[in-house]
Amino acid sequence: MANDLLQLRDVGKSFGATLALEATSLDIEDGSFVAIVGPSGCGKSTLFNVIAGLLKPDGGDVRLDGELVTGTAGHVGYMLQKDLLLPWRTVEDNITMAARLTRRVTNDDRDEARRVARQYGLGEFLRYYPHALSGGMRQRVAFMRTLVTRHPLLLLDEPFGALDAQTRLEMQQWLLQVWKDTGRTVLFITHDVDESIFLSDRVLVMSPRPGRIVADLANPVARPRDLDVLTDPQFVALKKQILHLLHGGGG
Amino acid sequence: MRRTVLRNVAIPLLSIGLLLLLWQGIVVVFDVKSYIAPRPLAAIQAVTDNWGLLWPLILGTIRETIYGFFYGALLGFGFGVIMAKSSFLHRLVYPVLVLSQGVPIIALGAPLVLILGFGVTPKIVIVAWIVFFPVTVNVLAGLSHVDKDLLNLARVYGASRWRTFLQIEIPASTTPLFAGLKIGATYAVTGAIIGELASSSSSGESLALYQQHANSNFSTAAVYGVTMVMTVIGISWFMLVVASEVLATPWQRRTVARRSLFHARDDVNAATSDQ
Repeated sequence: MANDLLQLRDVGKSFGATLALEATSLDIEDGSFVAIVGPSGCGKSTLFNVIAGLLKPDGGDVRLDGELVTGTAGHVGYMLQKDLLLPWRTVEDNITMAARLTRRVTNDDRDEARRVARQYGLGEFLRYYPHALSGGMRQRVAFMRTLVTRHPLLLLDEPFGALDAQTRLEMQQWLLQVWKDTGRTVLFITHDVDESIFLSDRVLVMSPRPGRIVADLANPVARPRDLDVLTDPQFVALKKQILHLLHGGGG
Repeated sequence: MRRTVLRNVAIPLLSIGLLLLLWQGIVVVFDVKSYIAPRPLAAIQAVTDNWGLLWPLILGTIRETIYGFFYGALLGFGFGVIMAKSSFLHRLVYPVLVLSQGVPIIALGAPLVLILGFGVTPKIVIVAWIVFFPVTVNVLAGLSHVDKDLLNLARVYGASRWRTFLQIEIPASTTPLFAGLKIGATYAVTGAIIGELASSSSSGESLALYQQHANSNFSTAAVYGVTMVMTVIGISWFMLVVASEVLATPWQRRTVARRSLFHARDDVNAATSDQ
């Protein structure tokens, strides 16, 4: 309880007559990596938008580090499948975008942007415009932009959904490295069950009509993880359980 | 680099040269009388021979074009922003703007002279009247089509509306803005000439009336020559707008940003702190 970075209490959201997210309570431990899987329309993005402060919930509280932040923005890092890089800004200036949108960009901001970019393989592209980068590189820039906001909680909504399988695998390993280095708390939405297990400490399975969390599963697969864990018995067992929850039958 | 210069400068010049050659050929082959259509060189000579008289008139037309264009562009941008930001003002203002473009421009001359006199002001008003509309339409479209996810991202970061507008909405609308400015630029000189026709008092006062005067004197070469001058003013202004677009949007042509003075200084700082 004391270690929970994010606490949701009975947070629900309707759009007209449609209940997009049933009243949901959830605690996310500081420094953990929590994956959320579920089909389209299960309220994953609604949940994210409520936590990010883009949507005001119909009821309930959102607490971040103990502080009530329900319906207010500016508290989390947030990243979508679309990289949303500004085509008219260089890689470096895209990374400092959050600072530029809220205050003056300082030399410290720029130094920090260069430092993380150099550390995570973007150093030589600092002065490039985004159109010159590959999809994977663009997502790295988008993630760096999320990271330098210094918010302890990062909401990643299918960040690798548009990448090809090989690039995605690279990016997953890269993300785990960054997560380990920076100690941030990550909430990660994905359609991909393998991805959810490979990355997370904990998997939340969601279901539509109405959108709700139907299972909260601890991930027993040991870290550090390499590609071999994909055939680890614990991995396979968890995957089976999640697939049954998503598609019914069996388990 | 040399290839680019060749393609972007030499080929357009060649096509203009060919056009003049075609003109010369038609006049010679069909033996067109010089009071119907002069040879190109005669038209050019009619301009150079009267350069002392024409130059102040040319400057006048250029001045009307530039002032009218800037006022029109500013006004057009303002209307576009206002309408993009408020659906109430959109509904209130848009019909009036459309109506303004329905008015035959030439008919505006008389009332404008009554209100503003024979000076340069009514001409500038007419140019601005023509230029603002394409700018408004394009800015409105540009601002309305900024990616909603990007605007949401700015909200998540806690950005104010003003900063979101300056940092995201305006730069995201540069391409449509310049589309509007380029259309405006091609109309601007036409507007200035219409303004001169519709609101000048004596033949010595403007390029348009000089041409009318030449026409009534059967100085066909001068008529053609002045038309060429007007065309050159129009094309030059259009090309200046295109050049400013190129300067304002380096990301559309470059892979790597040019090193600005500001960033160069930063790099020096970073280099020293690395040691």
